[in-house]
Amino acid sequence: MTTEKIHNRQLVFMLFMIRSTVTIATLPVLTTGTAEQDAWLSAIVSLPATLLTILLIGGLAVKFPEETVIEYSRKLLGKTGGTIISFFFLWTFLYTAATEVRIYAELLNTGLFPLTPLIFLVSSMVLLAAVAAVLGIETIARTADALIFFYIFFITASLLGAVKAFDHINLQPVLSRGFGPVFSSALTPAALGNQSLVLGILVPTLTTPRKAVTSAVLAALLSGTVLILSSITVVGVLGPKIGSSSIFPFFLMTRAIEISRFIERIEALVVIAWGMGIFINLAVFLYCGARGVSQIAKIHDYRPLIGPMAVLWVILSVHTYDDLLDLVKFFQPQIFFPYSMTTTILPYLLLWAAYLIRHAGRGEKKYIKKRRIKPG
Amino acid sequence: MKWLNALLGKKNRTVKKELAEENGEDFTDSSLDISEREAAAKSLSLTKSLRENLKMIREITGAPGDLAIREFRAGREQVEIALLHLEGFIDNKLFENILRMLGLGSFQAPVGKGAGPNLLQEFRRRLLQSAEIKEVKTVDDLWNALTNGYSVILCHGSATGLACDTGDFRYRNVEEPSAETSIRGPRDGFIESFYTNIALIRKRIKTPNLWLEELTLGSLSRTKVGILYIKGLASEELVQEVRQRVSRIKTDAILESGYIEDFIEDNPFSVFPLTFQTERPDRVAGCLLEGRVAIVTENTPFVLVVPMDFPMLLQAPDDYYETMHIGTFLRVVRYLAFGASILLPGIYVAVITFHNELLQAQLLLRIAAAKEGVPFPVVAEVFLMELLFELLREAGVRLPRAIGPAISIVGALVLGDAAIRAGLVSPPVVIVVSLTAIASFTVPNFSFGIAGRLLRFIFILLGGAFGLFGVQFGALLVLIYTSSIRSFGYPYLAPMSPLILQSFKDLHLRIWRWRMDTRPLLLGGREPLRQARGQQPRPGIEEEEKEKAGKGRKNDH
Repeated sequence: MTTEKIHNRQLVFMLFMIRSTVTIATLPVLTTGTAEQDAWLSAIVSLPATLLTILLIGGLAVKFPEETVIEYSRKLLGKTGGTIISFFFLWTFLYTAATEVRIYAELLNTGLFPLTPLIFLVSSMVLLAAVAAVLGIETIARTADALIFFYIFFITASLLGAVKAFDHINLQPVLSRGFGPVFSSALTPAALGNQSLVLGILVPTLTTPRKAVTSAVLAALLSGTVLILSSITVVGVLGPKIGSSSIFPFFLMTRAIEISRFIERIEALVVIAWGMGIFINLAVFLYCGARGVSQIAKIHDYRPLIGPMAVLWVILSVHTYDDLLDLVKFFQPQIFFPYSMTTTILPYLLLWAAYLIRHAGRGEKKYIKKRRIKPG
Repeated sequence: MKWLNALLGKKNRTVKKELAEENGEDFTDSSLDISEREAAAKSLSLTKSLRENLKMIREITGAPGDLAIREFRAGREQVEIALLHLEGFIDNKLFENILRMLGLGSFQAPVGKGAGPNLLQEFRRRLLQSAEIKEVKTVDDLWNALTNGYSVILCHGSATGLACDTGDFRYRNVEEPSAETSIRGPRDGFIESFYTNIALIRKRIKTPNLWLEELTLGSLSRTKVGILYIKGLASEELVQEVRQRVSRIKTDAILESGYIEDFIEDNPFSVFPLTFQTERPDRVAGCLLEGRVAIVTENTPFVLVVPMDFPMLLQAPDDYYETMHIGTFLRVVRYLAFGASILLPGIYVAVITFHNELLQAQLLLRIAAAKEGVPFPVVAEVFLMELLFELLREAGVRLPRAIGPAISIVGALVLGDAAIRAGLVSPPVVIVVSLTAIASFTVPNFSFGIAGRLLRFIFILLGGAFGLFGVQFGALLVLIYTSSIRSFGYPYLAPMSPLILQSFKDLHLRIWRWRMDTRPLLLGGREPLRQARGQQPRPGIEEEEKEKAGKGRKNDH
């Protein structure tokens, strides 16, 4: 099997689409906490937290440019420990992807296809992702290359379309209730930084792995900007009350747009853009999940795993949540933040600790050797 | 072989065959299969006896009427000589010339007594004035020479024959290619002649580094196939790959370059063509200059170019010859039209069936009013109309030209108009279908247009069944697929995915010639720079240079 390589630029595009799709679709800065008109501040606050997560994940990945997180966690924590930790990551891949496809299906269900069975929407998206994953990460990355223009164009078009209805009164008063609500709203988007876990699997496939952190940070900054802009626009158009009580505020906003008598109802554009984003999202997660499982099980090729995983995934996605409210509840900061902490941050802190303990010692030895050589 | 034949109960035949082998070759035996005959003919070498040689040739070929054999005696020694050619393959003047030389000239040649070989050598050295002369040693060689337009001289006492090029096959003239017309640009197109085609390309690229490798493919058709590339510009791996894939073909006949296309394609299931076919020498020359490889096939005006990428299909030669603004505009129009030709009917069906709310109220009312009374669902309507259109187009292509207009009258007036009047289809559907048809005609590459047509039907069904979601599903699937396929190892959607911003100068844009400094990056990357940078025309450029030169001199002092 030839090793597949993706360009760092492609990583930026993929991470950008992964990060921005869900955060814009559900706009957790507005819908989860109590920030209301200060949602854009929460978006700004969540940005450093996301960057920190990326540094944590990407920083370690760069130390092992040839290996995936599955492989080096075994090196660092021993075989058993590494495998247990890996299961956390694999679970996150599967579960996050299942949740995201469910969100998209629910969005389509509420917005455009009220009568279509959920399982149909879910399974067709998963089918697409599975096809892409079978064709490999190179194909996914190239598809992202081709889609990025449309994606950015559609999102920009819908944001610009909203300018006419924008009312800055809706954004005031700024910080009327202090920083408390702002932080409460920032928790979920920050915890969504666990999407960066894909770095652990993708870094070894990069053409220049040592620049992985730079690429990921760039992607996070771009998607952060989009998040800030869209939260400002949504609150400005809908007002904090309607915005925070709706489930898909961005979608609601685009429905309200009427540019002229001839151009109205441009929500289809947004739905299509999200379709692209979700597709890249799912394909990358499925690929990472399958790669991870194949490495744990020591299977040479990940492709045979994709079929069963996709089926499992559809089931998980349909049966985990009873309805939309259940889904919304999952994203509440008091649930989602601790969840993301235990599945992402804690394992990585553990890995880092192991790395520092093992390699700090070695580094010192090198240093001593050098010093010895010098006088001699 | 013997035991196999015995097993199969072909005793008689085996006996006969053995007999044939003992007696020399008995080609009058009708029980020999084609591959056996071919193998036998290949192993036969010419003998010293002219009579036997001629008998052999007659037996193998069945003495056809177009094989002309002229027997006579020549020289002071009255050596028996035979001159063979195939009717229709040769130029009579050249042939007569040879005949005269053999008859008259042979008397001047002082050769030893009864020495056929010497006489032949003499012919070759002094007398024959034809362009190319080669020796033939076997019957197979001899026949190949005849079918390539050579006349063959056989001489009693010599086991080799002389083949002289007298070829002049009547081809049609070099005309404007019918499938790829352009308004501005050269009007010559390839024809069926192999060397004329090569010459058309070589006239455009006169460097000796334009290399041609010839192969013969097809055990029965023995078609000449040429691999053409610019040595030192095309990547060696690519040339090697093409050479390998083409020479790997083992088949009985190559009647058109499409046969080769099928054999060398990377992905047999791809709807999209993975090799680029064109009738225009200027396109081939342009591709060669980008480091691609052309495959020229005898007997067809279609030349294959590999590797191919998607944007090539939407480029027309005019783009490069017109000014930059027009070229770019035409390309953008073409890209939009291509998108419309695949997606428009599907989107229309999806919107009308599922997403009425996306339409503006008045427009929706208009469409609804037009649709009233139409008995079919919109999916069926569009599907039927598209099918009808394909029918008309196919009929138009197949019909003799004299009846062609009749089809358009029947199709457009009778079917279209009557169908609307009878209330079988709604006018908006006709508009959509005809718009799609017009859009699909803007695709310069014919076979790509076919691929688009196939996809269109799938999108109509998807749109009818699942709405815009279905269309999106299909579009993503197509995109994934096209991103994954490669043509000779080069990504199909190249400058778009993977993204190569540098190559965007020749994608939807067609920027100024003086800005197209680099060749496409992915194609091997040998000598990426094609011209000196900064050749933008400026007023007073000479003066500036003089000034610079002057300054230089001053600085030297």
